Amino acid sequence: MIRARFEKRLPLFSLRADFCATDATTILWGDSGAGKTTILDCIAGLCSPDSGDIILDGSYLYSSSRDIDLPPRERGIGYVFQDYALFPHLTAEGNISIALPPGEKRRAAEFLERFGLARLKSSRPGELSGGERQRLALARALATKPRLLLLDEPFNALDRATKEATRREYLALRDELGVCSILVTHSKAEADLLGQRVIEIREGAGPLGEYEHVADDGKESV
Amino acid sequence: MSPLAPILLSLKVAAIATAISLVLGLGLARLLTRRGVRFAALWESLILLPMVFPPTITGYLLLLLFGARGPIGIALARIGLRVVFTWPAAVIASATVSLPLMYQNCKAALMGVDHRCENAARTLGLRESEVFRSITLPLAAPGILGGVALAFARAWGEFGGTLMIAGNIPGRTQTLPLALYSAVEGGRRGEANLYLLVTVVMAFGLIAVVGYCQRRGQRGKDGAEPRGEARR
Repeated sequence: MIRARFEKRLPLFSLRADFCATDATTILWGDSGAGKTTILDCIAGLCSPDSGDIILDGSYLYSSSRDIDLPPRERGIGYVFQDYALFPHLTAEGNISIALPPGEKRRAAEFLERFGLARLKSSRPGELSGGERQRLALARALATKPRLLLLDEPFNALDRATKEATRREYLALRDELGVCSILVTHSKAEADLLGQRVIEIREGAGPLGEYEHVADDGKESV
Repeated sequence: MSPLAPILLSLKVAAIATAISLVLGLGLARLLTRRGVRFAALWESLILLPMVFPPTITGYLLLLLFGARGPIGIALARIGLRVVFTWPAAVIASATVSLPLMYQNCKAALMGVDHRCENAARTLGLRESEVFRSITLPLAAPGILGGVALAFARAWGEFGGTLMIAGNIPGRTQTLPLALYSAVEGGRRGEANLYLLVTVVMAFGLIAVVGYCQRRGQRGKDGAEPRGEARR
């Protein structure tokens, strides 16, 4: 379970997040530029909020009052980036094994097998199709056995047929692994399809300096 | 004097100078591209000065630093070392003038690395040193190698600064550019033409390396783009 309650000043507005994610998939839904990716980056530790607390399974990842700000590598959070950010100079196997501790490098093969990438283990990301790249990114993020999985528009770069297939794969995998995840999307249809709970991130139409508010309105869907 | 001596000396001097400027240039680029370095612009200006200085001015400054009465010269004398008018002085001159080229190429290469890849590595549990070694450095390698080629070329051609601090002592500090000057002045056309030929061959080799690095760098960027499903 993750509890996020923080504020981050951005150049154009101040982003305020206040939500609790307990379900298998919590969706952050909103228009581009509303600050969805920044929220994920704050949770992953890639950028620091200005104030507030982020608590994962009872332990603080970030707390302004307690002066805690764990580096990303100590947070135990898997992150599937938008456009995946795969390592272009490493093979599919290398992309996964780099995340594994020295004694467990052989487990990379298991992950490739499980995600249907075994025959592509020596291919580099540039040689993979969109769907394969997406699966590799997911496999890589899960290889570290994260306590929480963050997904930033994970199906956005795919064509429609692949998108539907990979969404089904994702749902099956989510139920199998039971990992708590937060998924960012701008698509309402995707939000309703994948999320147990959808948190809307409203766009700040106000003037400079007005607060952007991320409301936990507990809207139930699917 | 055999005309081979200046060629071999130049190879040695340029290779060592390039190695020194690679270590310094890459280290300084990594240091100064991080956020929160105080006076970063000032340090960078100091590194880049030899690029805009006339080489003889750079050489004179080095002489003031490394000479018998210079601060570094005095410190070295205490441990029994004297560099002025020795071949290591030629290395110092070449490294100083090639450092700006190396630094700029390394800086551009490091900044050109997709920071999302570095961030992805961080979320996968890699330490900063591991991120640099396993992700940043391999992705920046083509740009850095291009810098090595340009720095070597600059070190190979160093004349003014070398003359000031290392002199033009045949068989000891006479590098190829200095030997060429002496050969032309002394009317030894055959020797001068040999130096020309060696340098032309070297130059084509270095240009090939730079071209290869540019193509590699470009392909690395293309490889990062999604290809879509059409390929299948």
